[in-house]
Amino acid sequence: MNRHPDGTGPPVAVMLVDDHPIWRDAIERDLSDAGFHVVAALGDGDSAVRISPAVRPDVVLMDLQLPGRSGAAAAHAIVAADPSVRVLMFSASGEDADVLEAVKAGARGYLVKSAARAELVDAVRRTAAGEAVFSAGLAALVLGEYRRMSRPDTADPADSSTGPVPQLTGRETEVLRLVAKGLSARQIAERLVLSHRTVQNHVQNTARKLQLHNKVELTRWAMERGLDD
Amino acid sequence: MNLSMVNAAAPAEVRRSLWRAHAVFRSAALVFALYVILRFRDADARPGLALVVAAALVGWTALTVVAALRGWLERADWLVADVVVVAGLTLTSLAVQFARQLDGSTPTLTSLWAAAPCLAVGIRAGWRAGLAAALVQGGASIAVRDGYDERTLTNLVLLILAGGLVGYVSSLVVRAQVELGEVSEARAALRERERLARGIHDGVLQILALVQRRGAELGGPAAQLGRLAGEQESALRGLITSKDHDRRGAPPPSEVDVAARLAALRTSTRTVAVPAGPVLLPSRTGEELLGAVGAALSNVERHAGSSARTWILCEDLGDEVGVTVRDDGAGFARDRLAQAARDGRLGVASSIRGRLVDLGGTVEITSALGEGTEVDLVVPRSGSPARTRAPGGA
Repeated sequence: MNRHPDGTGPPVAVMLVDDHPIWRDAIERDLSDAGFHVVAALGDGDSAVRISPAVRPDVVLMDLQLPGRSGAAAAHAIVAADPSVRVLMFSASGEDADVLEAVKAGARGYLVKSAARAELVDAVRRTAAGEAVFSAGLAALVLGEYRRMSRPDTADPADSSTGPVPQLTGRETEVLRLVAKGLSARQIAERLVLSHRTVQNHVQNTARKLQLHNKVELTRWAMERGLDD
Repeated sequence: MNLSMVNAAAPAEVRRSLWRAHAVFRSAALVFALYVILRFRDADARPGLALVVAAALVGWTALTVVAALRGWLERADWLVADVVVVAGLTLTSLAVQFARQLDGSTPTLTSLWAAAPCLAVGIRAGWRAGLAAALVQGGASIAVRDGYDERTLTNLVLLILAGGLVGYVSSLVVRAQVELGEVSEARAALRERERLARGIHDGVLQILALVQRRGAELGGPAAQLGRLAGEQESALRGLITSKDHDRRGAPPPSEVDVAARLAALRTSTRTVAVPAGPVLLPSRTGEELLGAVGAALSNVERHAGSSARTWILCEDLGDEVGVTVRDDGAGFARDRLAQAARDGRLGVASSIRGRLVDLGGTVEITSALGEGTEVDLVVPRSGSPARTRAPGGA
């Protein structure tokens, strides 16, 4: 599917998943006004997982708090079924361990619901373009997760049983720290004398390494319990 | 018959372990008892009967070991039968042994093995019942004796220990397991309640954010309303996130969860980024660090202008904890900082530095004109001795 978030070519297809009807309508309106094509607006995780393959969205904008299957679990199922789908999580109550779970499950980024409309549109656009949309809070959570995994007193024995624990390179740590301090990609690029693209790549790699590790974890977990994929 | 089972509600796993231990004891005691019977057989009045009793011992041991492992020995009828049979087997010594043996120089036919039913009763029904079983067995072995000596007394004490003490200890273990189960259940119920509360909080936050949006769209007085709603939304969000940190257990009274305390400082212009778990510091260190952060934030308010945004980052570096306060206000030229320090006009900065140095930590302030200011605070975790302040430094 062609994705041209700059306006040329077919509009970006967005699937919206949020259980709050008024909110869902408001976001749908904002996205349509901004030129996105909202292919589906659903209210729970199970429908999202079921309908996603049918409507084939470029971006899924998913609330973390959903009835039934959680947003993180639905994100995982959707990405597992089609890794080209880009999932952007959002929630009303700010970053917490659930967001971290969603990123480990394959989400590309996170946004808080009280963000301004322009910020939301920009985030969806960047997600469609393949960028990782990391809020400062999410960057701090990811940084904390890597540190937790490599410290002997806090690491989960299950983490390292599947192989070496993923680690950040010095550069990746630097970039992630600056994101966590609230700098924009442009400001980071200036400060570290890197290209904008390079900064983006570093951020995306931190998420990817966590996701790969998580995938191995889940496979091992499933095999141990005799569950079929 | 319904014995009041002290340990009736105990989780099965703990009871199974106790029964296994009991089975091991009874088997080992059997070996000892058989050795004793065979050793003294020649001196017996009726050696043939001694062998019959030995066989009975083996048979009853086998039966009770199976019963213990299968859980039958938890029933009152089995326990009573055990006590009665073993007492009876002890009394057969009267028929088997000569009077001169019965004066205490020879052990009874059951000897140590007679303690087994005391253990069983103690495990199942607590120390009082165990003591009662011990007294029954003790009574049987005294009844066999013609005279009394210290050995008789020793045997009685051993039986009492077996029944009473073991019974008491096993009750304690079982009760601890039950309490642990109750605590786990309570914790699970609490988590469920909080999950439900979370859904309600989310609804409120979303409405506030919605009002903020629509207000901005409509403009005019509605925009003012929207801004107020936005303020409340940030405040509530900060409160909820800090409660999430508390959910992992309030920090022990001598410690401070720096991450949770910082999260509560969230506003619409102030972003707080923290790791997922609690970031604990000893109370004094934590409070001083938070005080330094507060001083840095007041500084931002005073110098960076009201429209400046602030970011607070908290990092858990293992043996150290770091907090960075960054604003996008006017900033100041690098040399101005040093100049102001020399002029002694750096009140706030020196108070921050002073606090951190006392904690054995470091401060780094970086700034550039038009690029805001960054205050980087690092404190070591274990209370290291305060370093003396550099003379004339700020």
